[in-house]
Amino acid sequence: MFFSTIHERIRFIFLISIIILIAIIIKVFYIQVFAYDKLSSLAENLWSRELPIKADRGLIVDRNGEILATNVTTVSLVVVPGQIDDAKAVAQDLSAILGTDYQDMLKHVTKSTSIERVHPEGRGLSFDIAQKIDELGYDGVYLLKESKRYYPYEDVLSHVLGYVGIDNQGLSGIELYYDEYLTGADGAIKYFSDGKGNKLELTEIYEAPTSGITLKLTIDINLQLAIENELDNALDRYNPERGLIVAMDPDTGEVLAMASRPNFNSNHYQDYKTEVINRNLPIWMTYEPGSTFKIITLSAALEEKTINLFEDTFTDGGAIEVDGAVIHCWKSGGHGVQTMLEVVENSCNPGFVRIGQTLGVDKLMSYIEAYGFGAKTGIDLNGEATGILFDKEKMGPVELATTSFGQGISVTPIGQIRAVSAAINGGYLYTPYIVDSYLESETNSLIKKVHSQSTAQVISEETSSLVRYALESVVANGSGKNAYIENYRVGGKTGTAQKVENGKYLDGNYILSFMGFMPANDPEIIVYVAIDNPKGVTQYGGVVSAPIARNVLLSAIDILNIKPSDDGMPKEYTWLDKKYSILPNVVGMSKKEATKALKNFKIEYSGVGDTVLYMSPKAGYYVKEGESIMLLLG
Amino acid sequence: MIYSSSSIWAEFKYADSLKYVKQQSLFFVIGIFVMLFCSKMNLSFLKKRANMTLLACFILLILVLIPGIGTIRNGSRSWFGIGGLGIQPSEFAKLGLIIFTAKYLARNEKNMQEVKKGALPIFLVIAIFFALIMLEPDFGTAMVMALTLIALIFASGLKISFFIKLGVLGLVGIVGLIIAAPYRIARIVSFLNPWSDPLGSGYQIIQSLYAIGPGGLLGQGFLNSRQKHFYLPEPQTDFIFSIISEEFGFLGVLIVCGFFFFIFYRMVKIALKCNDLFSKYLVFGLAFGIFIQASLNLAVVVGLIPVTGVTLPFFSYGGSSLLMSMISIGIILNISRK
Repeated sequence: MFFSTIHERIRFIFLISIIILIAIIIKVFYIQVFAYDKLSSLAENLWSRELPIKADRGLIVDRNGEILATNVTTVSLVVVPGQIDDAKAVAQDLSAILGTDYQDMLKHVTKSTSIERVHPEGRGLSFDIAQKIDELGYDGVYLLKESKRYYPYEDVLSHVLGYVGIDNQGLSGIELYYDEYLTGADGAIKYFSDGKGNKLELTEIYEAPTSGITLKLTIDINLQLAIENELDNALDRYNPERGLIVAMDPDTGEVLAMASRPNFNSNHYQDYKTEVINRNLPIWMTYEPGSTFKIITLSAALEEKTINLFEDTFTDGGAIEVDGAVIHCWKSGGHGVQTMLEVVENSCNPGFVRIGQTLGVDKLMSYIEAYGFGAKTGIDLNGEATGILFDKEKMGPVELATTSFGQGISVTPIGQIRAVSAAINGGYLYTPYIVDSYLESETNSLIKKVHSQSTAQVISEETSSLVRYALESVVANGSGKNAYIENYRVGGKTGTAQKVENGKYLDGNYILSFMGFMPANDPEIIVYVAIDNPKGVTQYGGVVSAPIARNVLLSAIDILNIKPSDDGMPKEYTWLDKKYSILPNVVGMSKKEATKALKNFKIEYSGVGDTVLYMSPKAGYYVKEGESIMLLLG
Repeated sequence: MIYSSSSIWAEFKYADSLKYVKQQSLFFVIGIFVMLFCSKMNLSFLKKRANMTLLACFILLILVLIPGIGTIRNGSRSWFGIGGLGIQPSEFAKLGLIIFTAKYLARNEKNMQEVKKGALPIFLVIAIFFALIMLEPDFGTAMVMALTLIALIFASGLKISFFIKLGVLGLVGIVGLIIAAPYRIARIVSFLNPWSDPLGSGYQIIQSLYAIGPGGLLGQGFLNSRQKHFYLPEPQTDFIFSIISEEFGFLGVLIVCGFFFFIFYRMVKIALKCNDLFSKYLVFGLAFGIFIQASLNLAVVVGLIPVTGVTLPFFSYGGSSLLMSMISIGIILNISRK
């Protein structure tokens, strides 16, 4: 055939062409089917813009659900430079409304970024300002809802709660320690934009933010308010350098209340000095505990049976000589002959030196370490201090003697309250904690409950009951009388510690403390009060801190619903005290008989009749003479 | 399709979303008439005037290079601006050269077996035109033209060994061109790994893939392309196929490819049936010209070969290109009727 070569070649080229075409189709198929997911998501990222919506931070509530830290909604300004037509006009108007510099605003408005947050001047805007900006109606100017941390109780519990920074990040306290739980996941409004940053008329996707987890604390806000109030009163009265109160459940380690002075308002933490906001004194401060530490020495000696509380005696001549050093008792002239119980009641230093000597260095120190001194308690807060003990190897008789009554060592308040809790709760050393449970933010359903944790049993139940008895006796008969509450069983121990600065004791500068608990037979609450360098008052813990602890315990009666008891030790009266009498039972008596039986009291009648149906307070209570007794007649 | 892919840019540039559609429609109407005219006219006239036509094209190609007469668009001085419209002489040169080559091959049928007497002169002519178009520079059009004519000469029965030599020469030439204009190496690198320079040389191909990929099997739907919103450059010309893929998915791709296969197949059949050698060469040359341009465009868009800058015949916006395609169809229809 004439055209055969040409036709062959044309067919050949046609074949090649078809192969090319098929290759192209295969490639497209590959792109659209196999690379579909990857390219789609990449393209999605290219097209989509996100306006972030801040997640609400998790709430912090007290043990009864009362809100301690919440969020308030504020508005913040965000600009999308690509959508702004007249940058100068926008910058001019925005800077005028916000009262900020025009040039700064122009920089925000013209920044080559997809979304610009006007920070910090456009954060946390008030409703008025937000509305003004909204009324401008500019494209590319957005107002985003932002939540801001708010502490409704202001400066209450501030050291424990801590505070957050401008981006809602936890910076101290619970806010810092539990930041990852409290921080939620931010959401966003996603929209599609074109290559120039303009918004496309396509569906917006709303990704809801997830709120952080709600934290329920072991703190009882009412008790917290009570201790804050007591600290404020102490501040007014004594003008101390510092003060702190901690209340704990000795059977679990749950911290019920914790406060210190000076304190701050978590909502405006920037207005305070860093020393103030960063020092949570109950866990940060270390100092010589003084006499409250005698509880530790006492419990060790009782457990080791080196002393008998009731039968052994000690004669205090006002001072004791140890290895050439003379240690004086706080009472000049001494307490004379005392039983060991009286040594505890009187808080007699030479007596405790003797108790320490019966134990020796190794035994005493092993108990001190078993009680957790010299180590952190492991409370769920940042910034806990450790305290300092004598090196056991280098301890001589003098160091043993001073350690026995709480000098020459340093401890933290939280460490002390933990140890004493163990001494009175049956011997169990609990780790103090503040977060009780994690709750789901929407439903408040329980995610996780924190269980109290006992790390060791230091002394036996039996020894512990002896310690409780001795300490109840301190309050009823000894140096802790100012903490006595009628009809309730209170135990406690005073403490007066001289402060040390640069290795020297300061003159007339003391930390006055009191460790009290109630009911003394089965403690439900333990309170530790320490007032640093109060002015114009006798420098004894029994004078300054015991009444404060008493007030806290009084508040706790209602708050924790502690039942009264008539099995307690009657208070030993001095001439200073008014007399208390046991109320006789007058229910069922006639009006005349009742009046006679209650002759030492003022009687208020209610109801009409001649028979007593009901009396208040009830029979068997200790009541101050001359107080009113209510009788219901019928 | 032009409307969908161009409206956003047209709105932005001319505040008239129909701007490109209007212009293209005008060219299309003109194209219909030109096509009808070509299908009816006496082809011997075309054959006779082939040399004159080519000379005219040559002059136009020189004129367009002179600043002030030719205008620069997208970096190439390859346009005559008439009013708002642009005319590309290289498109016409391509047509003129195909006619001329077809005539030359038909006339020198016997000489074509000899390299010196047959092939060299025509290659010299092609080389001159190639060089002129490269000076604009318009690499894409020059490539389409060169490939078309080489295929045509290949079909004429020239020895295979010659094409092997030519291939080597071409390779050397490409290397030379790359050395002369370094932006071409960037295009090649970007084709191999577009993500190596996502905002520079790889930008176009990445944006093209972002359009094709999410298209999936059935596409986003007509007018729903996102990439046309200022992401993909030249969505109405070189990268119209990306938008087609994005809006109509793999189905759309098959339809477009099927369309090109079908017309190419029909044209090749016509060429094979022709008894007249000139007509045979002419039909095949025109057919292959359209097909290779389409293939090159598709290959670029899907990332098979580096970005060359050729439009998709019949689909892309561009007056001269459409006109040339219509003329080609007209001439082929004319020949098929005989």
